[in-house]
Amino acid sequence: MKKWRLLVAVLAVFALVAAACASDDDDDGAAPATTAAPADDMDDGDDHDEDDDGDGMADAHGPCNDGANVGGTLIIGSTQVPRHLNGTVQSGYATAVPGTQLNASPLLYDDEYNPMPYLAESWEVADDGLSVTLHLVQDAVFHDGMPITSADVAFSILTAQAHHPFKPMFAPVTGVDTPDEHTAVINLSQPHPAILLAMSPGLLPVIPKHIFDDGQELPTHPRNTEDFVGSGPFRLVEYEAGTIIRMERFDDFFIEGAPCLDEIVMQIIPDATNIVLGLENGEIDLSVTLGPSANVLRLMENENVTVSSDGHEAIGQIQWLEMNVDDPALSDKRVRQAIAYAIDRDFMIDALDQGLTIPATSGIVTASPFHDSTVNPYDRDVDQAKALLAEAGYGDGDLSLTIDYIPPTQVIYAEYVVQALEDVGINVELSVSPDFPTWAGRIAGRDYQMTINNVWNWGDPVIGVHRSYLSDNIDQGIWTNNTGYSNAEVDRILAEAGQELDAGRRAALYAEFQQIVSDEVPIYYLTTPQFWQAYNPHVQDPPTRTIWGMMSPMHEVWLDR
Amino acid sequence: MPDAAGLGDVAAADMGVTPGLGAGGGPGAARPGRETFRLFVRNKAAVVGVLMLAGVVFMTVAGPSLYDQDPKDIVARPLIGPGELTEARLGTDYLGRDVLAGVINGGGTSLTVAAMAAAMVLVIGIGIGAVAGYYGGWADSALMRFTEFFQVLPALLFAMVVVALFEPSMWTIAFAIGVVAWPGIARITRAEFLRLKNLEFVRAARAVGATDWRIIRKVVFPNALPPLIVSATLIMGTAILFEAGLAFLGLGDPNTTSWGLMIGLNRGNFLTAWWSVTFPGLAIFFTVLSFSLIGDGLQDAYNPKLRGR
Repeated sequence: MKKWRLLVAVLAVFALVAAACASDDDDDGAAPATTAAPADDMDDGDDHDEDDDGDGMADAHGPCNDGANVGGTLIIGSTQVPRHLNGTVQSGYATAVPGTQLNASPLLYDDEYNPMPYLAESWEVADDGLSVTLHLVQDAVFHDGMPITSADVAFSILTAQAHHPFKPMFAPVTGVDTPDEHTAVINLSQPHPAILLAMSPGLLPVIPKHIFDDGQELPTHPRNTEDFVGSGPFRLVEYEAGTIIRMERFDDFFIEGAPCLDEIVMQIIPDATNIVLGLENGEIDLSVTLGPSANVLRLMENENVTVSSDGHEAIGQIQWLEMNVDDPALSDKRVRQAIAYAIDRDFMIDALDQGLTIPATSGIVTASPFHDSTVNPYDRDVDQAKALLAEAGYGDGDLSLTIDYIPPTQVIYAEYVVQALEDVGINVELSVSPDFPTWAGRIAGRDYQMTINNVWNWGDPVIGVHRSYLSDNIDQGIWTNNTGYSNAEVDRILAEAGQELDAGRRAALYAEFQQIVSDEVPIYYLTTPQFWQAYNPHVQDPPTRTIWGMMSPMHEVWLDR
Repeated sequence: MPDAAGLGDVAAADMGVTPGLGAGGGPGAARPGRETFRLFVRNKAAVVGVLMLAGVVFMTVAGPSLYDQDPKDIVARPLIGPGELTEARLGTDYLGRDVLAGVINGGGTSLTVAAMAAAMVLVIGIGIGAVAGYYGGWADSALMRFTEFFQVLPALLFAMVVVALFEPSMWTIAFAIGVVAWPGIARITRAEFLRLKNLEFVRAARAVGATDWRIIRKVVFPNALPPLIVSATLIMGTAILFEAGLAFLGLGDPNTTSWGLMIGLNRGNFLTAWWSVTFPGLAIFFTVLSFSLIGDGLQDAYNPKLRGR
């Protein structure tokens, strides 16, 4: 019924448009492919799409080689259209790449998850873990010349706590004290080891209180794009939604001598193929949104382009197969295990991804310090799968299931699963969603049996991992616990691990968690897609020595022309 | 009343398949059907079209039993070129499926969707066109405004909206194509009915008391058929292209192999694996071309001005 009404509404809109145009164009296929385009900037929990991301960070010696390397324009190509530029209220790559140039954060991270000073020149965590004290650099100013103070840090944290989609980042924060202009004390209701990672550039940009604290709603604040005043190494000079983001060197940046570049221009180019061509002919210097594997392979063969996947370890993208555990058939652990054994992860990597992804065997990516490599990887074993199915009471062809996937790019993985499960006697039909919102609605409403999904770890398990398994987070929207998985033991372990300050004990708890989930397989992990970034050789110190890739400030990137 | 009806029959039988104006045309035109056939085969391109279509239909109907390979099975490594494998003569696609099996089995979906869509187009188009043309007046105005409304819709865009609303499947795709493609047929039907309804033999039928329904069905419609047959043939071609277009844009039904779907899913690999796109593309090309050629031949055959030449 609703659909019919919608159809009528659409017809009415067409009628209006038709009346307005008053032409009588017959039907040629000239319709542009705008309507069915995947909703690329829909992300609020995570990114769902195919786009790869890059890296970030730079050298230890004097900024910009003591001024010798200053100058030039870096042109970044990106397919991603940001909703706006204020990363305190918006997650995702599209906002974070320009956002980390425009705003500084309290901390930076090197490529081994070690925090490094940025706006905070030092910090300490209280012994009981219930407060974190940040000591800010003395002479930092916003782009409008106003000093960056602890009040701004406090305002940014409380804004992110209220509006950022990653609720667990600042959930335990009870308040931020500002004993003086350069000291911020974050008070916590419980020990919260993830708090330092939540100070990363992409997660906690420091925004000016004197601009944003005017009573307007932050997520829709006009200054999120207009007259942008930031704290970062570059300032916004031109912003045209979906077209261009031009950022100029901020001369009063608090790191003396940085940034090296005069200008960063982000060109938003919807078609990844055009970005690849731009990289090949030198019109684009750097990009991580390269499109399908074929494009990456093609760039790898080009000696004028460097391709690398270094530097984005924290993003932790996992492509996985999740199962609705409330489904009568899939509620049986043996059926889920059989499905896991039926799938050949290596085939997917070699054939479908042409070797450009790496295996994912648990819910915490291999690159994370909390990854447990001893879990059962469920390498393909058709006999074992058949045996498990027989044990569960399903003979050859007795079981019929459906599989969803994020349209349009994930269809190939779903098609493969259909074939793989056929080999063990399970009939699978593809369940087609015409667009991303339809798919997301189905999965969030648990109107599915199996789906391919793509969920990101986002650095700390508290931020990106817990949400998929906690029993009090079932069906809270897409990229929450969409399997319906509920295990009191897992809830307890995760609650404990989220508060454990000792890294060793925390890793042990997460290992226990991974073992349980691996045995019960509500989710079968497929691959970790890599964030392939391509850049021209004259780009020096590209953001490859961090864990956040291009979601890092590029104040140390320079051009060697 | 029975009498009147009987007379109506006579009128219809007399005029029957013979186009009104061309009745009794040239000297050798004793059997109109044979004459039409003669004119049709005189158009060599049309004959080629028929042969091509026969080939496509044969491949689609008999192919799957002659070449027993499920198009969805993974038979070999992905993206292997044509000629390199005996199990996949035309190469494999991105999943390692046999392109040849896909081309053979994909035609069924494409042709079925096209036929269903064409049937729907004809039913809607002829229904609306006939009523509008025959009755005229406010019915004509209302129905033609309605037709124009659909005519100004960007067809592919509208079809995409329909498919997106109702989930892609063979039925919704055929429905979407049918809903967007009928205005042309409606207008042709209306024009024919307008032309025919005041001709003498129709007036005669009316004079003897035949009902409107009977006149429309037995007198006017058979005489309006020739241009409609030509259009219907072309609609088949259009519908195949539409189906391919929708599948190309990601709105196909991946559970059923079709040519358009093969192209749509494989297009990312076009530069590295041309065969996975080219062969289904060629299949679409030849099928649509055959319909065009046949339509062209039918047009010649039904054109009274060519008779007797």
